[in-house]
Amino acid sequence: MKTAADPGEVFLRRVLRLLRWRLWLTDRLQLTDWQKTLLWAALAGFLGALASLIFRAFSEGVHEFLTGSSAGVVESMRYLPWWACLTVPAAGGLLAGLVLQFGKKLTREQSSTDYMEAIVIGSGQLPVRASLVKSGAALFSIGSGGSIGREGPMVQLAAVVASAIGRRRRFTPPQQRLLVACGAAAGIASAYNAPIAGSFFVAEIILGSIAMESLGPLAIAAVVAALTVRVLTNAAQLYQVPAFRLGSPWEMGPYVLLGLLAGAMAPWFLRSLRNAERVFVATQLPLTLRLGLGGLLVGAIAVWRPEVCGNGYSVVVDILNGSIRGIAVLGFRQIWLAVLVILACKWIATASSFGSGAPGGVFTPSLFMGASLGYLFGTAVHNVWPAGAADPRAFALVGMGAFLSAASRAPVMAVIMLFEMTLSYDIILPLMLCSVLAYYTAKGIEEQSLYSEALKRKAAEQPATGLPPGRVADLMKADPPVLADTARFAEIARMFLSVPVNHLYIVDAERRFVGVVSLHDIKPYLGEPEVAELMLARDILHEDFPRLASDETLSEALGSFLGIAAERLPVVDADGRLLGSLAKGDLLLTLVEKRKMIAAA
Amino acid sequence: MPDATRTVAGVNSPTALIARPDAVALDLPTGSGEAVIRALHARLAALPAVTDAAGFLDDLLERATVSSVCIAADVALPHARTGAVSGIVLAVGRAPGPVAFDANHPGVRLVFMIGTPKKQVTEYLQLVAGLSRLLKKDGVRAALLAAPGEADFRTVLARGLPG
Repeated sequence: MKTAADPGEVFLRRVLRLLRWRLWLTDRLQLTDWQKTLLWAALAGFLGALASLIFRAFSEGVHEFLTGSSAGVVESMRYLPWWACLTVPAAGGLLAGLVLQFGKKLTREQSSTDYMEAIVIGSGQLPVRASLVKSGAALFSIGSGGSIGREGPMVQLAAVVASAIGRRRRFTPPQQRLLVACGAAAGIASAYNAPIAGSFFVAEIILGSIAMESLGPLAIAAVVAALTVRVLTNAAQLYQVPAFRLGSPWEMGPYVLLGLLAGAMAPWFLRSLRNAERVFVATQLPLTLRLGLGGLLVGAIAVWRPEVCGNGYSVVVDILNGSIRGIAVLGFRQIWLAVLVILACKWIATASSFGSGAPGGVFTPSLFMGASLGYLFGTAVHNVWPAGAADPRAFALVGMGAFLSAASRAPVMAVIMLFEMTLSYDIILPLMLCSVLAYYTAKGIEEQSLYSEALKRKAAEQPATGLPPGRVADLMKADPPVLADTARFAEIARMFLSVPVNHLYIVDAERRFVGVVSLHDIKPYLGEPEVAELMLARDILHEDFPRLASDETLSEALGSFLGIAAERLPVVDADGRLLGSLAKGDLLLTLVEKRKMIAAA
Repeated sequence: MPDATRTVAGVNSPTALIARPDAVALDLPTGSGEAVIRALHARLAALPAVTDAAGFLDDLLERATVSSVCIAADVALPHARTGAVSGIVLAVGRAPGPVAFDANHPGVRLVFMIGTPKKQVTEYLQLVAGLSRLLKKDGVRAALLAAPGEADFRTVLARGLPG
């Protein structure tokens, strides 16, 4: 036998020892592709939550800088002199416009920054610089009191972080799209402290599927994000409300009417936002001035009704608790009229901010609309028939869910979100009823939802990129690690150490695929250098390992995965040359996407 | 680490494979590695498991030229995973003097020749590992080299190899 001092043998023993350790870990952890996906989803959730928290802190900082107050947006506006109320949102709009204007010079990327677009019709790539510029602009429009939600940019940032992870790890498009979706779920979960709704929002609205292939990673990302926010900020449920319950079965009658009303109003609300956008564009003002004008309009309304500023959160909390500041002491008629005025003003203010192009979301303003509508309706019913609406605040809560369901066309998400944000389970029956009725009513009036129209328009503009891959060649990952059939055992072991695979692809001199070396085969002999020294790849090759033709359909490829414990298969051309490899996870994700598209068609 | 040879059973066990009268040759030529391979191959060529004797020989010789088949200074394991055999075949030989198998192994005395069907990767590895362990045992190689006759040689092998 050779002496132990032989450097070659010492090296081989070291490599084999390392490989034994790797296998020991692999045996115990047994990470499949899906488990790895879940780990990446968890990372996206954690980083997405951090991004959301950072954005929130920055927007509060900008708000304090512009108003000199660290209180909430509505509170700050209440105490500002009239001229400041008028100019702060206008200045915020101008600053947002300037950031966007100058940001254009910094960003050469032409791709869209919209995360929904990246998931639904794109490859999951989100430009980081352009997204940061947009978020920077959003800080000013939100911090200055624009009638727009800060949660939209928070979700956007979380999705950008996930996209950056996927790009760095060179994920395939289906994996990349799923990871961006995980980032979005994390953003919603951290913005609203609602992990279930975060998962379902993305699954129901964006992916259009609650298949476990996608819902599992979304749930993991959302849970990790919510946990991160709870640990770092002691966050509780978003809306602290009294315990609501169904006063009597008779109340279901008015609730049915509320569902129909919310379902009818939501499409008009969305139409008004689109119309406002057209009006602002028709002014032909430069973007900066347009944003300034939008801010000025919000400021003008805020001089009279500061409740219109911000995303409407604090006013919704007041409505749900029946303690609307400044009007709670008034009589029924005055309260009713005051809430009606606030609703109308908020509607106009949101249309102004949204129409002017202020970066931000309209998700939370939608909740405001629903809460106001529900409260107005409940109070009116209570006044004429007390048993029909024992507590108008409960109608406000149900109205939020119904309006959200009608605007987003995601009734399941709306019910779950309302429950998570308020932890009011006792109101679940009218909430479910109203959400479903509002959904069908809105659908009957208009096909488009809060999110679908822009996506459909963009998908029509670029149909080619929206199509999921149909052949193996479209989905394969090129240039997998390979070894020659004359590779020695040490090379094989080294390769197994450097790439986390169970099968190494072996090619001949013309790069024709000849078979695989299985980690499973060599595992028992890693403690035997004599065996290792004798073996070449060709000695332990599995020539009968299945391979995919690059022009095979994805369904045919799926058949090749049956009956074999392999996470990926080699892809070869007509001459048997190795072109790449196809992962089972990518294949399943793509087939789910295709099924969804066929169903949608 | 599991004892891989324990799973070798029945006709694929080393003991069973060398039970045939012509599986052991103590009079191998000392000319060259190729001559030794040809001599041992001749003892296997007539076996029913060898479906293409000429192809088997070609594969053995080709494998020996691609990379060393020696596992120690005095031990060689010429082997081939080949379509020319339908089951594992094994022949063992001893040369009366040193045989130059390759530049780094000029003094080979013990030769274990293996032919394996292409699909039997696991069995092949088990067999090679079993032989390797046998030859690592203290005194086994010396005993094989010193065995006065075929019966003693077989006894040493049978004692060391798993059933």
